[in-house]
Amino acid sequence: MSSAQQTATWELQTRQLLLPKLDHEVAECEDFIAEDAETCRFAVTDGATEAFDARNWARRLAQSWVQTHSALTAEEFREWVANEGRELHDSWNGLNLSWYSEEKARTGSFAALVGVELDFKTYSPSWKAIALGDSCLLYCRNGSLLKSLPLSRPENFNSTPVLVASDASMHETSMTSVVIDSGNCNSGDVLLLLSDAMACWFLERFEKGDLDPNELLKTKEDHELKRLFDDERLAGRMRNDDLAVLRIELISGE
Amino acid sequence: MYSAQITRANPTCIVLLIDQSGSMSDPFSGDSSRKKADFVAEVVNHTLHDLVIRCTKTEEVRNYYYISVIGYGRNVGTCFSAELGARQMVPISQVADYPLQVKSSYKRVSDGAGGWVEIPVRYPVWIHPAADGKTPMCDALRKVKDILEHWLKDHPHGFPPTVLHLTDGESSDGDPDEIGQQIMSLGTDDGAVLLFNCHISSRRAAKIEYPTEEASLPDGFARSLFQISSRLPPNFLSAAAQLGVNVVEGSRGFVFNGDPSSIVQFYEIGTSLTGMTPYRWMDDDRRTELA
Repeated sequence: MSSAQQTATWELQTRQLLLPKLDHEVAECEDFIAEDAETCRFAVTDGATEAFDARNWARRLAQSWVQTHSALTAEEFREWVANEGRELHDSWNGLNLSWYSEEKARTGSFAALVGVELDFKTYSPSWKAIALGDSCLLYCRNGSLLKSLPLSRPENFNSTPVLVASDASMHETSMTSVVIDSGNCNSGDVLLLLSDAMACWFLERFEKGDLDPNELLKTKEDHELKRLFDDERLAGRMRNDDLAVLRIELISGE
Repeated sequence: MYSAQITRANPTCIVLLIDQSGSMSDPFSGDSSRKKADFVAEVVNHTLHDLVIRCTKTEEVRNYYYISVIGYGRNVGTCFSAELGARQMVPISQVADYPLQVKSSYKRVSDGAGGWVEIPVRYPVWIHPAADGKTPMCDALRKVKDILEHWLKDHPHGFPPTVLHLTDGESSDGDPDEIGQQIMSLGTDDGAVLLFNCHISSRRAAKIEYPTEEASLPDGFARSLFQISSRLPPNFLSAAAQLGVNVVEGSRGFVFNGDPSSIVQFYEIGTSLTGMTPYRWMDDDRRTELA
């Protein structure tokens, strides 16, 4: 899916792709993509497969983060997550759960989140991002990878990342892993917000120098990308996971 | 090898093989209040609880695992009863739905602000302690082999089956080496069946955990169990390391003269499978007590 948003002098071209694990239904996908033209915020979240109500938690985080005007400092982010977590847990009240669902719910839910806010209001346009978990922002300029956060190497990805917990009692330790970064924007810059399997695959390609991801995501149709990523997962070159890609290209009108 | 993704379309199976001979009613050394059979039943119930929770997706339990719990003593057969009793291999969703009972209790946990709160917890029970008869280990391993052969016919490509065998004594029906080797020669495209053995003892004797060679073992029985214990694949080594267990490449899934804490770790490591975080169901203070 592609769209274009216009600020006073900048145009944002966005494209998103969401694919469930192989052999899974779209309704089972626990990755989410959200964008908001008014706040100029974009987010990708990835619900932890083993967590309770992970799909709802991931959706809530993505949709709420792009609509809020805060949560871009560590303190604000912690407060915002605690509030979202309370609301999620409140939504479970009154459910008649089996013993195992009750046990699972007790540990709360978990998801990875990466969000970026673009600011074109100042003379020097800029971006600011926040991430906790293994969903990543890859910032590209002139076909090269300028920055990747919170993880920057394929070997950084493992099965036990620190995630955004819905239970605030876990925040004391988990919130120390929040990564915040910022920088200036140039015309032609491309931001990729990716869930973990996709981020790992892109970083591998960048390291090998055998792929221009901007071209790949810009030129191929959705069905071609789906076939490519299905093949990569089938061949084991990409982990069989849900996949989320949000590509944002910045074009100056001046 | 040992890297196949465990999915509903490509599940794996776990066999818990438990010695239920008469000697299991003896206490552990140094703890006259606790029978081995009671403790093992508690750990097995917690292990099943953990496996169910891992497969729980909100209100659904997904069949990533198929479970068999086989006991041997006076008889050889499934330890499941009631609704689960008629089958040797049960999908985890049915394990979840049919415990014999679910006990309720309270557990003290941190409130995140320096204090403690008591929260309700549920303890499902699938198996009760049993200790009677001799130790027909070979017969039991033959039963396991039959179950696995049947499973592998339908699941030739998945993560290989894992067999976690716990015993407190020597086999009363012959040397288990041959049948053990036969089990270890079975497998899938992703690797051979994993057979891990945990020997527990009532005697005060030095425990040996996850050795790499048999020279360090005290007797023929220990060497025999070592020979039919698989090497721990990398993911299991990582899980063991996360639990603070001293393992190296080449370590066998084998414990000799184990104590209660060895049993807990044995099941945690043995069910860690493809890189899953070992489930620590026992509080750290209780582990310290058992160590």
